[in-house]
Amino acid sequence: MKTRKRGFLVTTLMALAMFSLVLSACGTKPEAANSSNGAGSSNEAAAGNQLEAIKKAGVIKVGMMGTYQPYNFLNDKKELDGFDVDIANELAKRIGVKAEFTAQEFSGLIPSLQKKKFDAVISQVTITPDREKVIDFTEPYITNNVKIIVNNKTNDITKLEDFKGKTIGVGLGTNDESYLRNEVLPKVGDFEIKTYDDVITSLKDLNSGRIDATINNLYALKPIVDKNGFQIKAVGEPIKSDQAGVAINKDTPELKAALNKALKEMKEDGTYKTIFKKWFGEEPKE
Amino acid sequence: MLELMWENVPFLLKGAYYTLYITIVSMLFGLMIGLVVAVARLKGNRPVRWLARSYVSIIRGTPVLVQIAVIYYGLDDYGISFGSLTAACLALSINTGAYLSETFRGAILAVPKGQTEAAYATGMSPGQTMWRIILPQAVRIAIPPMGNTFVGMLKETSLVSVIGVSELMRQAQLLQAQYLRYMPFLLEIGIMYWIMSIGFSAILERVEKRLARAY
Repeated sequence: MKTRKRGFLVTTLMALAMFSLVLSACGTKPEAANSSNGAGSSNEAAAGNQLEAIKKAGVIKVGMMGTYQPYNFLNDKKELDGFDVDIANELAKRIGVKAEFTAQEFSGLIPSLQKKKFDAVISQVTITPDREKVIDFTEPYITNNVKIIVNNKTNDITKLEDFKGKTIGVGLGTNDESYLRNEVLPKVGDFEIKTYDDVITSLKDLNSGRIDATINNLYALKPIVDKNGFQIKAVGEPIKSDQAGVAINKDTPELKAALNKALKEMKEDGTYKTIFKKWFGEEPKE
Repeated sequence: MLELMWENVPFLLKGAYYTLYITIVSMLFGLMIGLVVAVARLKGNRPVRWLARSYVSIIRGTPVLVQIAVIYYGLDDYGISFGSLTAACLALSINTGAYLSETFRGAILAVPKGQTEAAYATGMSPGQTMWRIILPQAVRIAIPPMGNTFVGMLKETSLVSVIGVSELMRQAQLLQAQYLRYMPFLLEIGIMYWIMSIGFSAILERVEKRLARAY
């Protein structure tokens, strides 16, 4: 009986060892097939100079929502396209590498950046003091005016004070969400906040009356309303204006310097203006 | 609407590829984990049994979404970093493994005790008895509930869209944002998931029949 038992222990342990081996094999195999996903592990780039690592790889890994027209979305050819994409490609070109995009829900973008799954997030990440505590930003590359957006039939909401008792939609993990929660909610009093993972869903719910209002910037609204005739409108004065920058990790001063230099050059030689006009139909105000 | 659905089939098929890929890889590893854990729970010594039981309890008692996040984001805190596809496969393998181990344990217990005794009587060792006598019979019993787990897994892959794997659900989300329409794409991926699960069921049915013939 004793020897029998020991036999089982040995087989079990061997089996466990085998399965951990096999699992670690699983860890490398799918990576090869993951070329289009682009969020491969990059922990080897964590140490040392990340700019060098990017140059060596020939690729800068960029995270974005992919569902935020006209900033980043799929075009008719099913490629990611938009203002952010053009900016990212231009930045990559000026560093001498290619940009590789991964589309992921906004709420996961900054955690993924911190975990070095991306080298940069270029997805209308608004520069805020809270975020600056955990990640770094380049100089801003766009300023967005945020307005209150309501259903066409709604007439009783024109300012933040009117939110009281209503349901307000906002993007999960966005700067707008923390703005609503931390600044508007204490001032205005009770209203419900419903969070969304992309802009379209929130506008759809607004259109169908599931929420009373949302806040968003006008550039983001225009293509959506143009394209499918949502019965929604922007009301009142802009409630705030946000500046978005390229989000990068804190320990990457060389990357930041290189990106800032590229941004500055883009603005000086007119490339930035061309990209801006292409997507927003007007000249940048700065 | 049909036209919209039709012209986006290739794009969604790319997502279906990842969905299938993750499902199959996780199934294979889940099977191995499940088998090992089931045997460990039944025949292991005390610490091994305890370890196996804790694993099953923890995995079954927490949401898959949490497990995916733990592997993708959580482990990274300790310097263990996976790409999104790897993390997805790993999380789902570990998850399915726990469920399958219970299926196997039940199936092994369902094999009449007389079989073990008869095997011992012929002079087989416990290991031989397990691999040659008990497991072949247990696998047959385990197939229908295994089918449940596989089909469930296929659908659970939609959860890995949150870590940026471009599987079926994620591709549909991108299309929804592009066309600002929901129903066509939801319907379309619904059909694709359905077809894939029919496929799995059909394969398992064949395996079941084949195994039934052998005895």
